[in-house]
Amino acid sequence: MAFLKSMAKALATTALVAAGSAAMAADIAVVGGSNDDAFWNIIKKGIDDATPAVEANGGTVTYLRLVNYDNFAPDVVQLIRTAISMEVDGLVIPNWVPEAEDPAIKDAMAAGIKVILMNAGGADKATELGAINYVGSDEYVAGVAGGEYFAGAGQKNVLCINTLPGTANIEARCKGVIDGVTGKGGKGAQLPLPSTSFGDATAVAEAIKAELLKDETIDGVITISAGDADSAAIAVEQAGKTGATKLGSFDMNQAGLDRIKAGTQAFAIDQQPYLQSYLAVSLLASSIDFGTDLPVFPVLTGPGIVDASNIDATLAGVKLGAR
Amino acid sequence: MSSTSLGGLLRRPEAGAALGLIAVLIFFAFFGGVTFLKPAGMASWLNVAANLGVIAIPLGLLMIAGELDISVGAMVPFGAMTVAVVSGHYDMPIWLGVAMALSFGVIVGLVNGILVVKTAVPSLIVTLGSLFAVQGVVLGLTVLITKSTSVALSVEGPAKAMFGDFLFGGQLQVMALWWLGLTALYIFFVHFSPFGNWIFAMGGDKVSARNAGIPTDRLTIILFVLSATSAAFVGMSQAILYNSAQVAGGQSFIFNAIISVVVGGVLLTGGFGSVVGIFFGTITFAIVTQGIYYTDFDRNWSSLIIGVLLLGAVLMNNTFRKMALSATTKKKGAKA
Repeated sequence: MAFLKSMAKALATTALVAAGSAAMAADIAVVGGSNDDAFWNIIKKGIDDATPAVEANGGTVTYLRLVNYDNFAPDVVQLIRTAISMEVDGLVIPNWVPEAEDPAIKDAMAAGIKVILMNAGGADKATELGAINYVGSDEYVAGVAGGEYFAGAGQKNVLCINTLPGTANIEARCKGVIDGVTGKGGKGAQLPLPSTSFGDATAVAEAIKAELLKDETIDGVITISAGDADSAAIAVEQAGKTGATKLGSFDMNQAGLDRIKAGTQAFAIDQQPYLQSYLAVSLLASSIDFGTDLPVFPVLTGPGIVDASNIDATLAGVKLGAR
Repeated sequence: MSSTSLGGLLRRPEAGAALGLIAVLIFFAFFGGVTFLKPAGMASWLNVAANLGVIAIPLGLLMIAGELDISVGAMVPFGAMTVAVVSGHYDMPIWLGVAMALSFGVIVGLVNGILVVKTAVPSLIVTLGSLFAVQGVVLGLTVLITKSTSVALSVEGPAKAMFGDFLFGGQLQVMALWWLGLTALYIFFVHFSPFGNWIFAMGGDKVSARNAGIPTDRLTIILFVLSATSAAFVGMSQAILYNSAQVAGGQSFIFNAIISVVVGGVLLTGGFGSVVGIFFGTITFAIVTQGIYYTDFDRNWSSLIIGVLLLGAVLMNNTFRKMALSATTKKKGAKA
């Protein structure tokens, strides 16, 4: 799940600025992931909503999407080359595969195209390449927010369930949670689950339950994916800790949102993809058209915390395809 | 006479598996402490064993018959996703979702079995193909239908109680009852009906078995249908229990089930093993993987400890099998 999602995320950010005609008006290409990927359809909603403002100033926005992920790196590079040949003024691109994409991105800049990195790449990469900004999330910062949320709710001992130990961005999530909660006076630990339990909901649930039974002081559990939270919810219930042990998750799915609505899950951490494309396109167009320069760097679109206080608005956003 | 009966007991195929089980139980009772032996702790590994065991026994029978089915890794998410899409996304009656999940299991099992029988391609390769194919179908169809890779499902009433709930509101999953019931059925059919002898004969020597009039083709197909349907059943029940299904996952069942079967004393080459042995092997595997969480060992070493303990269990099993077999030979030699 996490692999798929991050891959999809990465794919979606490759949007190219297409076919600009007027010298002044911003023609923008955005590169993104495939049509059947839910994440990239939320990205598309952000692009669609930002497009009218760009068009009102005489520009255009083109969303260049990967057809599938079978030939990933070459296809992404091909989309960047397509954008260059379209002579766009601006390019919004996720830097999923730096070693493959970097030369093409540099070529785009050499051709006078302004670039914003979106979704994948990070601030350091944006500085290195000379992109005007990075719009996306930071796994570590998201983790810290989760840890601090627990601490703010009075939880003292938080366990971060890592079903994909060794994966860099996932490790960053758990590290952030632990740093966040310890920074506020609590304590945190990571539970790395061996690969024998990956994908077996019962094995994951029973492992979490065992930890809760063994250490009675654990009062916060956070999972690195929305699917694992389904297992964790049963684990908390089976350990007889409903109410005492709060549950959080990175990312969200329908079952998780239902639990937040019902009160059996405290919160979910969302990277808010809608904002990534909406802001990236708007910032780039405004920079090209009017020479604006946003001092905020990088622009983090997450973590957005979904909890009881905003669950209804979030569910409404889900219905409209923006969450 | 009494020593013969003890020796006879130790020479049974499941003896090594039973001893391995006792060894790991003692190991974790010692390192895991009281919590491990409390009802909640026991339920912890019994639940894992139940979900795994329902798949491990038909897979073990296939292995005894000299075949292998790794497509179970895709059938678990397929079963889960089918019931979630039918009864969750489309909001159709839960029984339709259950029936469809199980019938997809039967269909994939039939395809596997018929391909193995008709093409004579090794079943590892055939089911490797169906593993990927079914994974592709699950991902493709789910995203096409629901625009998501995770589908929510909410089940109430008798279907929840039958497939995805905890017994008496306690710690043990309903799956544990299914597992015990199915194990009893398998024991009857494999060890007390001709069906069982046929399976062992096929694993020993397929050509001779066919020449002896055993319907090997039909039996092979039935075994593949059993394993695929069992995997779909487990996936379906998990989706009902956890109120949600994901397209990924389930692959761990492939290796976990094969390990359980081997720890249970089944020969990878076929022809030797028993249902009770697989039953013990599954519990052993579940204790080893779940027991870790009750100990104070650093979690980063979990996989290492699991690997060493499982290897130990298999070696113990092998030693006992050799001792059992050579003991018989010596006796014969002594008599002659």
